[in-house]
Amino acid sequence: METTAAINNPQPVLQTDRIKTIDMIRGFALLGILLMNIPGFGINWDAWFNILKGPHNTKDYYTMAAIMSFFDGTMRGLFSMLFGAGMILFTLNKKELPDGPSVAEFYYRRLLWLVVFGLFNAFILLWFGDILYFYGLCGMVLFVFRKTNPKWLLVLGFVCMSITMLKSQLQWNETREKRKAYTLAVKAEKDSIKLTDEQQAAKAEWTEIESRTAAPDTTFTNRNLRKMQSGYGTIFTYWIPMNTDGEIWALYHQLFWDGLTMMFIGMALFGWGFFSNRLSTSTYAMWLLIGYGIGIPIGWLAFKDGLLAQVNDFSGFVDRYRIQHQLLYDVRRILLTIGHASLLLLIFRSRIVPWLMKALSKVGQMAFTNYLMQSIICTWFFYGYGFGFYNKLKFHELYYVVFSVWIFQLIFSSIWLRYYRFGPFEWLWRSLTYWKKQPMKK
Amino acid sequence: MTFNSSGSNQDSQAIANFNDTGITRNFSLDVLRGIALLGILLISIWEFGGFSTNEQTRLRLLQKGTDYNLYYYISVFFEGKMRALFSLVFGAGILLFMAKPNRPGLVSTHELYIRRNMWLIGFGIFNAIVLLWPGDILFQYGVMGILLFPFFRMSRRALLIAALVATLIYCGKMYWNYADDKKAYKKFKAVTLVEEKFKKDSTTRHQKDSLAGFSTDSLKVRDSTGKKNDTLNKEQAKDKGAWEGMVKNLKYDSTNAAVKKDNKEMRSGYGKIWNYLLQRSQFKEAAWLYRTGIWDIGSMMLLGMALFGFGFFNADFSKSKYLVIAAMCLIAGFLLAWLKLDNQHSKLVDYAKYIDGHAIPPNQFFPIERLLFATGYAAFILFFIRVNILKWLWGALSAVGKMAFTNYFMQTLICTLFFYGYGFGYFGRLSQQQLYFLVAEIWLVQTVFSILWLRYYHHGPVEWLWRYLIYGKRFPNKKKME
Repeated sequence: METTAAINNPQPVLQTDRIKTIDMIRGFALLGILLMNIPGFGINWDAWFNILKGPHNTKDYYTMAAIMSFFDGTMRGLFSMLFGAGMILFTLNKKELPDGPSVAEFYYRRLLWLVVFGLFNAFILLWFGDILYFYGLCGMVLFVFRKTNPKWLLVLGFVCMSITMLKSQLQWNETREKRKAYTLAVKAEKDSIKLTDEQQAAKAEWTEIESRTAAPDTTFTNRNLRKMQSGYGTIFTYWIPMNTDGEIWALYHQLFWDGLTMMFIGMALFGWGFFSNRLSTSTYAMWLLIGYGIGIPIGWLAFKDGLLAQVNDFSGFVDRYRIQHQLLYDVRRILLTIGHASLLLLIFRSRIVPWLMKALSKVGQMAFTNYLMQSIICTWFFYGYGFGFYNKLKFHELYYVVFSVWIFQLIFSSIWLRYYRFGPFEWLWRSLTYWKKQPMKK
Repeated sequence: MTFNSSGSNQDSQAIANFNDTGITRNFSLDVLRGIALLGILLISIWEFGGFSTNEQTRLRLLQKGTDYNLYYYISVFFEGKMRALFSLVFGAGILLFMAKPNRPGLVSTHELYIRRNMWLIGFGIFNAIVLLWPGDILFQYGVMGILLFPFFRMSRRALLIAALVATLIYCGKMYWNYADDKKAYKKFKAVTLVEEKFKKDSTTRHQKDSLAGFSTDSLKVRDSTGKKNDTLNKEQAKDKGAWEGMVKNLKYDSTNAAVKKDNKEMRSGYGKIWNYLLQRSQFKEAAWLYRTGIWDIGSMMLLGMALFGFGFFNADFSKSKYLVIAAMCLIAGFLLAWLKLDNQHSKLVDYAKYIDGHAIPPNQFFPIERLLFATGYAAFILFFIRVNILKWLWGALSAVGKMAFTNYFMQTLICTLFFYGYGFGYFGRLSQQQLYFLVAEIWLVQTVFSILWLRYYHHGPVEWLWRYLIYGKRFPNKKKME
C-alpha cells in the first residue's frame, strides 16, 4: 500500500512493499556465508593443508569436500546478486522530488556509509573477511546501469567474468613460466653446464615456491596462533596490515570484478523476475537441474583435481595444466548460485516448510544486522579476548558453531521483527543515510 | 580536474542551456586550471624523462650548484603544490556542475555527474595502461569525484571543516608511516643486539673449549655446531632485512645500477615497457589511492568546494583581501618548506640517527604546506584577475584550462613519444636544464594550440568525446564563423 507520505517523502521501503522471496533468498545467503567464513574465524590456515594432505576418510575431509565443491563462493555470489537486485529496488522505488536530495544522493550516501561500516567490521570488529567495504565500492558502479536492459546487464556480467578469467590465466602463465625456467636450469645443471645468475635465481625461486606449497610455514602458524590468542589490542594491530592489503589488492585484482560479475547478473535475473518468484515452476526446476547438474561436477573436479592435487604435488599440478584449473570458478559459482536460488524458490512454492521460509525471510530482512552479528559472535567466540576457541575445534566441529549461530539468528530475527520495524544496524544505517532518526518501534 | 562546458555555444540550444553560471567564475577557474595543468608538468617531467630519485638524492646531499638550486626551487615551489591546485579547482568544479538545473529530455545533473566521473576513471585507466603513463591522476580524480558526491550539499563551513580534518588525517598518515619506520628500526636494533650476543658467546665458548683441552679437530666441529645454533631465525632475519633494505633505498647509489636498469627498460619497445610499468600503475591506482590519495586529493577538493561556497573563485573578495590571503599563505607555506629542509637532509645522511633524534618525520606538515601554497597561488592569481592586469596572459591560460583534459592527454602523448623507447627514446638522456627547456616548449605548444583550437571549436577534442560519452549525444563542436 502506498501512502501519500511515501510518495512525498523519500524513506525506507515499507514492509508491505518488500518482496518476500527476495528477503528469503537473502536470508538463506546470509546464513550460508557463515559456512565459508567460519574457518577464517576459527581455525589456522594450516588446518586446510593438513586435511587436504590426508587421510581422506575423516569427518574433516568429508566436510571440507562438501563445503568446497558445493558452496565455495556461491553464498557470496548469491548475496552479491541480491545486492544488485536491491540496488534496482532502492533506486526505482523512489520518486524524484523537485527539491531535496535526489535518489542518486541517497543511494551514494547509503553506499558510503556501507563502506564505513565495512571499515568498522574489518578494523574494529576485527573480521578480516569483511565484504561490506567491497560491496559499498562495487555498488557505486551500478547506479548508472539501473535502467539497463537485463540482456545487456548479463553481457556486462560476463564481461566482468571474462576479466577475472583473463587475469587468472595470465597469473597462471606466469607461474608456468617460473616452473619452466626452473626445469631448464635443473636440466642445464644435469648436463653440468654452469648456471647463469638468472638461472640460479629461477631455480631458487621455484624451490621456494615448492617448499611453500609443500608445507605450511611453521613460523607463520605459530605467530598467528600466538596473536589470535591474545588480547584486543594485539589482534587489532595484528590485523591492520592484512586488512589494509585486502582492501587495496583483493579489491583491485579480484573482488571488484568478483562482485560486479554477480551484481550485474543479479540485476539481470531480477529484471526477468527470477528472484521475485515470477517464473513458472518448470523454469525453476530446469534451472535447478542445469545449475546443480553442471555446477556440482565442476565444483567436485575443482576440489579433487584442483585444491587437493595442488597440495599434494604442486609442481606436478603446474606441469599438468596449461589452462588455469580454477578458470571455471565463476561459471561454477553462477550455476550453483542459480541452483541454490531455484531450489529455495521451489521449496517455497511447494509449501513444505512454510515456517522455515518465513524465518529465513526475517533473517534476510535484517541481513545487515545479522552479518555484523556473525562477526561479533564469532570473533568473541574464537578470538583471545573472548572465549579463545581459536584453532581449538576440529574443522568439522566448526560447523556445530555454524548451526548454533543459524538457529540463534533465525529465532532472534523473528522475535526482533515482531517488535521492531528494522534490525538495529539497519535502523542505524537508514538513519545515517537519511540523516534523520528513523522510527524503530512497530 | 573539471572540464566545464564554459565555452559559449549559441548555435546549440541544448548546450547553451548549460551556460548558466557567471562568466567570471568560469573564467577564473579556467585560468587556475590552466596554470595547474601546465605546472603539473614541472614535476611529472621527472618521471617522464627519467630524472631519477638517485640523482635527486645526489643533489640533495650535495646541497650546492646550479643543478641543486634548480631542483630545490622547483621542489619547494611546485612539488605536490600544482596537483593540490588542480584538486582545488576540481573541487570547485563539482559545485559548479551541481548548480546546473535538470533539463527535460536529458539525464539528470546528478546522474551526469556520476557518469562523467566514471568515464574519467575509464580515461584514467586508458592513460595509465594503454598510453603508459603511471603518473596518471585521472583515475584517482574520478574515484574521488564519486566518493565526494554525497558531500556536495554540505554547508561551506562544514566543507571547510571537513577539508581541514582531511588535511590533519593526512598529516597523521605521515606520522604513521614514520612510526612504522621507527618500529622497523627498533626491531633491527634488537636483532643487532642478538647478533652481538652470538658473537660474544662464540668467543667465550671457544675460549672455554680450548681451556678444556679439546683437540683442534673437535674444536672445529664444536664451533660449527655452535654457530648453527647461533644463526638468526626467520623472523629476525626478516626484521634485519626490512630495515637494511629501506636504508639502502634512501642512500645514494654511486653505481647507478637501478638507474641503468630503469633506463634500459624504458628505452625498449612498447610491449616491454607495458610489462615494466604495469605494476607501477596498479600501485598508483590501488595502494597509493587507498593510503594517500584519498586524503591528498580529497582534502584539497573539499577545500575547493568550501572556497567556492565562500565566493573565492568569483573574484568577489576585495583586492586587498586576495593579496592578504596570498601573502599569508605563501609566507607560511614557504616557512614550512624551509623548516623541513634541514630535517630532510639529515634523514638522507643517516636515517637511523634521524630517528634517534626526532619525534616527527621531515614531511610531517607537508599536507599543510601544500594546502597553503595552493591556496596562496590561487589567491595571488585571482588578485591579478581582479585588478585586471596582464589580461592577455590570463586569456591564454584560460584557453589552456578550458581544454585541460585534452592538454593533459597531450602531455602524456608528447612525453611518452619523446622519452620512451618506442618513440625517440630520450629517457634518462637529458639533464635537468634540458628537461625544463622541453617543458617550456610543451607549454608554448599547448598554449598556442589551445588558443587556436578554441578559435574554431567550442570544446577540446577529448572534452568533446567526453561529453559525447556522458550525454550519449553528439553536440556540434564547430563554431560559427562571423
